[in-house]
Amino acid sequence: MINVAYQRIDRLVRLFIPFLFSVFLVLLTAIPIYLPGYGEIPINVGLIAVFYWAIYRPDLYPPIAAFFLGLWQDILMGGPIGLYSLILLLTNWLIVSQRTFFQGKSFVIIWCSFSMVSLATGTLSWIIVCGLNGAFISPFGVFFQALLTIGAFPFLVWLFGRVQHSVLRTVNV
Amino acid sequence: MKYRPGSIARATVSIKMLLSRFAFIFLIVSAFAIMLLGKAETVVVERVRVAVIDVATPFLSALSKPLSTLSDGLNHIETFFGVYDDNMQLKDQNARLMKWQSIAQSLAAENSNFRKLLKFVPENGTLSMTARVVGDSGGVFVRSVLINGGRAHNIQKGDAVLNGDGLVGRVTEVGAQSARVLLVTDLNSRIPILTEKNRVRGILAGDNSPHPKLHFIMGKTVIHPGQKIVTSGHGGVFPAGLPVGRVASSKGGLLRVQIFANLDQLEYVRVITRYPGAVVDPVSPVKVNSARLK
Repeated sequence: MINVAYQRIDRLVRLFIPFLFSVFLVLLTAIPIYLPGYGEIPINVGLIAVFYWAIYRPDLYPPIAAFFLGLWQDILMGGPIGLYSLILLLTNWLIVSQRTFFQGKSFVIIWCSFSMVSLATGTLSWIIVCGLNGAFISPFGVFFQALLTIGAFPFLVWLFGRVQHSVLRTVNV
Repeated sequence: MKYRPGSIARATVSIKMLLSRFAFIFLIVSAFAIMLLGKAETVVVERVRVAVIDVATPFLSALSKPLSTLSDGLNHIETFFGVYDDNMQLKDQNARLMKWQSIAQSLAAENSNFRKLLKFVPENGTLSMTARVVGDSGGVFVRSVLINGGRAHNIQKGDAVLNGDGLVGRVTEVGAQSARVLLVTDLNSRIPILTEKNRVRGILAGDNSPHPKLHFIMGKTVIHPGQKIVTSGHGGVFPAGLPVGRVASSKGGLLRVQIFANLDQLEYVRVITRYPGAVVDPVSPVKVNSARLK
């Protein structure tokens, strides 16, 4: 009896791992590393997380998880609240709807697709923020962040892959 | 009626799809609603932000400790190699400062004599507290940092924040143990300033670039690059006379300011919780001594 209860709890915790892990990674990007210029342009870890899980395990990363990860990112970064909720929700929807396209595709194709998503969401967020503030903001930061995030993509995919194989191997929904 | 296997299952699937689509639309609408509420600076949104940051700050504080130590260590190594040059510079500076010290002492004595003559009532002193920068969040659209001091340390919304070099920004959100500081370079930062020498009033307006703009200079005085900018204290939010920066350039009539404080590498900052001439809050006149958070 206790064994069954334990197994259930264990399974439940494992189900939440993708979300909790991405929450932790977003927290890490908020730590000051005292390097000139870095604080202004952190890697968009949330976008990579939502993209990855939408392709490989969308069952473990529903739209509501993307929504709350975005909210967490907005609050922590001090940006316009709700902005990344919207961006990550749209990313989740886009990737899940195109999931059949990604199946069996090589990593290079997935990386290219991510690059396009990263640039497109960056542009969208830039347009929204300019609209909200009623002012022209230099797009340089957004563009640079998109490039930085594209560069960090392979490493984070590897990391998520490790998490998926070590923690979620036994979880099937 | 003929029973068709799978019809119930099909119906369940279509209801599920409908529900998930509805949930998605609901979430999209929520995101927009939150964005508008946030833009309107609603109290609820601010409370949620503050509560979440209060929860995150201890984790950020703990996680940023090793990095802070590492950066201190690197600084030590860096300074070690420049000891001789630094020493020569400091000796030179010391000689100059000794001269100024004697001038300052004579001025202080003169000042106190004048005060006695005028029966001047001294104002309350400035109270400040030192906090550590634990979150260098910012992101692409905002220039702000999180510090590990909040209401518990008498920090209030609007307080000026400095480091050793000059003005850093002002407090915009205060939690129990944490606060967000909007840097002077942020798009939404507007600070009333004066040029130190000829006392021309203006507004320092951030635009997310490293060098904020200088606006609304009153009068026809020409402002030259190199002039020192200090806070004017107009509006009663900031104490007057805090060093801000120097006028860097005036290309095409647009003045930009080089900030004294290095906003990229903020580690400890000083929050001015009370200063002479401030509008005193009658609800919480608790006196605290300068304290430093670990």
